[in-house]
Amino acid sequence: MKSFNSYLSLFFLLSVLVFSSCQDEVNSSYTYRTMMPIYLEMSDVRARIISIEPAQPLDNPGKIYIYGDYLFINEPTKGIHILNNENPASPKNLSFIPIPGNVDLAVNGNILYADNYVDLLAFDISNIDKIHLVKRVEDVFKHLYTHATGEIITFRDTVITTESPTWGFEDGGGWLMNSSISFSANYSAAAQSYGTGGSMARFTLSNQHLYAVDQSTMRVFNVENPSDPTFVKPIDLGWGIETIFPFEDKLFIGSNTGMHIYDASTPNSPTRMSVYSHLQACDPVVVNSDYAFVTLRNGSSCWNGANQLQVIDIKNLFQPTLKKSYPMLNPHGLGLAGDFIYITEGIHGLKSFNVSDVMNIDQNQLEFLTSEKSVDLIPGPKSLIVIGPDGVCQFDYSNPAKLKKLSCIQVKNPVKFY
Amino acid sequence: MAQEKKYFGQAEVGFLYGRGEEDWDGNHVKRFDVTFMTFNGVHITKNHVLGFSTGLDQYEDISIIPIALGWRAFLGKDDKPKLFGALDLGGGSAVLEENYSDEWSRSWYEGGLLISPSAGFSFPAKKGKTALSLSIAYKRQAVTYFQGTLSQPGSQSITSDLLPPGFNSMNEKNYLYRSFVCRVGLMF
Repeated sequence: MKSFNSYLSLFFLLSVLVFSSCQDEVNSSYTYRTMMPIYLEMSDVRARIISIEPAQPLDNPGKIYIYGDYLFINEPTKGIHILNNENPASPKNLSFIPIPGNVDLAVNGNILYADNYVDLLAFDISNIDKIHLVKRVEDVFKHLYTHATGEIITFRDTVITTESPTWGFEDGGGWLMNSSISFSANYSAAAQSYGTGGSMARFTLSNQHLYAVDQSTMRVFNVENPSDPTFVKPIDLGWGIETIFPFEDKLFIGSNTGMHIYDASTPNSPTRMSVYSHLQACDPVVVNSDYAFVTLRNGSSCWNGANQLQVIDIKNLFQPTLKKSYPMLNPHGLGLAGDFIYITEGIHGLKSFNVSDVMNIDQNQLEFLTSEKSVDLIPGPKSLIVIGPDGVCQFDYSNPAKLKKLSCIQVKNPVKFY
Repeated sequence: MAQEKKYFGQAEVGFLYGRGEEDWDGNHVKRFDVTFMTFNGVHITKNHVLGFSTGLDQYEDISIIPIALGWRAFLGKDDKPKLFGALDLGGGSAVLEENYSDEWSRSWYEGGLLISPSAGFSFPAKKGKTALSLSIAYKRQAVTYFQGTLSQPGSQSITSDLLPPGFNSMNEKNYLYRSFVCRVGLMF
């Protein structure tokens, strides 16, 4: 019996040996992130009625706008969250306006402006519980059109697995490319500049006009009657435009090669006064009557940049000159409130300086909170709003040398450093 | 069923022979590499041994340390040449393979399932308890090569089951080596 068992096992083993093939198998799969193009007809987008939805958790906050006791927080390409910020120590999420394609916003009186792909929308927000659309200015951000047919492409960040790592079009229509180097990634990164009202704004209001900058163009809207914005004209700026900052009747436009100064005393037709050029770097701008403060940063989308705070003398707006530059760690955004400047140093933290003596800013560092990783900030009337990986945090900054954290709004996909 | 001794050991060296995948011209690249195996076990009955096997298998450029649960069974009279069968079941470890990692990418190997049935003859020494062994085996070893590019700081994260966190792309190459094995060694 024992030997029978053994014979059986041996027979089994030998049959495995005989019947098994000795050929190797190699198969590979390639999984990658890509931007899946989604084609949208503007007529379909316009046909959808935008109605206010109940509060939604903050997923991926973009720009922030302070309006009275309220915070308007954009969720890039999705819409706008409305928060009650009467008490900065405990902001309350009120509601959400779903606006597809929205990346920026601005408030003029009781009217909220927001982009909806190629259109500009105006909402009446006089009653925060009954926000409604009052006007749609069609076909103004035309650069989003793919053809003259009213079709736009948006991209959805997708993960795809294929059997063959061939580069080219796949059946699914996905674009096989490294999403981080694709144009669309740049586009979405651009859409992700943080904080309107902050130094990285792209919509700005000045002299009853709304200025909207994209990568190369400034679009001017007349908003003398806030509920009836009218498109005036586009102004070509050159490439790499990043931020716009109004001061008195001037517009300071930060690009990745320098700072443009525009005279907006004729609001519907700003004219270029000068361009202050520097190395390529990412650079938000804030301005007071004598100086412009520019941060230069070395980052993935900003090549060969230095990490600096530059003070530019703008007493003669036609001839801006570099007054002094201070080394920084990795400055992202900055905010000016009176004599104090606040700088977000990315992963390094948050700094405050007294800038009344522009020649000695480095010696007037008031505070450096190394634990507060931060990307952008807005010095608001009630609090300093800081956007970083911890979400949207608010600080009591009545004493710039002693910032006191009031609250943090948790977000699902916090801001990443770029 | 008196057992003379409980411990059973085996050490063998040999070669692995396999055929690679079909080339563009229909030919197969031949694989011919060395293998080394040791087995340590105990007799559960006179003719059956259970234990662990380990060793070193070379598959082209990839070195794998097999770690398997093993069974040995013998057929034949004492002090005469015996027929034996074996089955090893376990996994391969790719710890000898170097992981590559830099700012932008990472690559590494992971060993997979190992199945190896074998059969052979043992020839006892005239004196002592040792025996010479000759065996043939089939060895099925899975190995996976991963090569991924990392998400760069600042890029938005995306939640997906398909990609491990922190990666922007992942190239996964699954090798299934099916080899014919010929070994010679000692049993003690």
